[in-house]
Amino acid sequence: MNSIQTYSEAELVTLLQQRHQEAFSYLYDNYSSALYTIILNIVPDKEMANDVLQEVFIKIWKQIESYDKTKGRLFTWMLNIARNSGIDMVRSKNYQKAKQNHELTENVYEAGGSIENNTDTIGLRKLVYTLKEDYRVLVELSYFEGYTQDEIAKMLSIPLGTVKTRLRAALIQLKKVIKP
Amino acid sequence: MDIQQYIQSGIIESYVMGLASDDEIIEVEKLALEQPEVQQAIDDYSELLEQQAFQNAVAPPPGVKERLMAAIREDDSAGSGAIAFSAHSSASVVTPAMLPEQEISSSSATIVPISTKQSSYKLWQYVAAASIILFVCSAAYNVYLYNEYSEKSQQYISLLNERTTLQASNNIYQTTIKQLQSANDMMADPAMAKVKMDGQKNKQDAALVLWDTRTKDVYLVANKLPSPAQGKQYQLWAIVDGKPVDAGMLDANCNSVCKMKNIPKAEAFAITLEKLGGNPGPTMTELYVMGKI
Repeated sequence: MNSIQTYSEAELVTLLQQRHQEAFSYLYDNYSSALYTIILNIVPDKEMANDVLQEVFIKIWKQIESYDKTKGRLFTWMLNIARNSGIDMVRSKNYQKAKQNHELTENVYEAGGSIENNTDTIGLRKLVYTLKEDYRVLVELSYFEGYTQDEIAKMLSIPLGTVKTRLRAALIQLKKVIKP
Repeated sequence: MDIQQYIQSGIIESYVMGLASDDEIIEVEKLALEQPEVQQAIDDYSELLEQQAFQNAVAPPPGVKERLMAAIREDDSAGSGAIAFSAHSSASVVTPAMLPEQEISSSSATIVPISTKQSSYKLWQYVAAASIILFVCSAAYNVYLYNEYSEKSQQYISLLNERTTLQASNNIYQTTIKQLQSANDMMADPAMAKVKMDGQKNKQDAALVLWDTRTKDVYLVANKLPSPAQGKQYQLWAIVDGKPVDAGMLDANCNSVCKMKNIPKAEAFAITLEKLGGNPGPTMTELYVMGKI
């Protein structure tokens, strides 16, 4: 990622907090595809994913002053904004309506994902798919669909403690898969 | 607490991925300040996730950045922190003037194929327009030709009628000429006795009897008699041995030489006006003309 090192992360944050548009342009050029990929993992519809991406960058632009570098890396902060925005979109009424319409047309034409991206073949979600079923379900529900561990425990009818320990085990397993 | 065991419990991953509960977050952040290994683990996993996120990342479509930069610029010029941002409404805000040079040139470059499409579309429009004009012209010409045709056929019919009329009158003239010719022939014939009858009632009345001495046929030329009154008809009499003999009725339609009855012998001829169809004897008060042979 650091192939075009025009700004260091600290410089970039400082410039963004000073509302430098060039810095914002640089930020977009360097981070948009990584953030877009995680959004596509959550919001399969490309048009809607585009909207979410814009929303995410607007949030970054507006909230950059609230970013505290002592609490974590810039990308980690942005990644969480992207993930949360994606989940918010998927849970919105508009999305549910559009999804229903889309499923209707899909049924009519029996065409597979003409505008939908295959979420399982890119990004982090592709790696999650290599996990064993018990782990995969927990990561999907918590990370990509945003359910709390309480909700998951109720959905799957398993004790909250089991959800907690199994999710941690799943994340450790995922980390091993991620390792280059 | 065994810090290594803590680090490897999955809590760090949970925290970095945003899946930790509020209590866990407080705990991790507290420990991170106290234990450099914890902070290091957080940093390591953050970096790992970051690296992963850039592997085979999918680039967003170029239009997103244009809209975004325009929205940022608007926010900047508005001077307030609030950005009334909607992806769709902001799209309409983007004008070429708001885009950097490169964006303009690249966007105008994409217009080229569209404009060729438009020109081929335009070509079809012209072809369609031309066909419509041709069709209208052809239809108008057809109407013109049809009018011309009906006019000509009417003229033809009237010419045909005229021809028939002319032929008819020609036939009439031919008949008249033949009659006149035969009358002329009769006049010129030396064997034809001519008996001139003079007016008895009026001086100007006159008639001529042509009597063929060979066949004894009698012909009358009565063109100098007044028109008979309604219900009346002229009757020719031959005077034979001092007595009148019916020599026939003068046909009202005969206007030149009219053939009468055959009279073998006569001394004189006379014409009286009688009732239609004639009388067995002449009405002497109605004697119009008379002439001796």
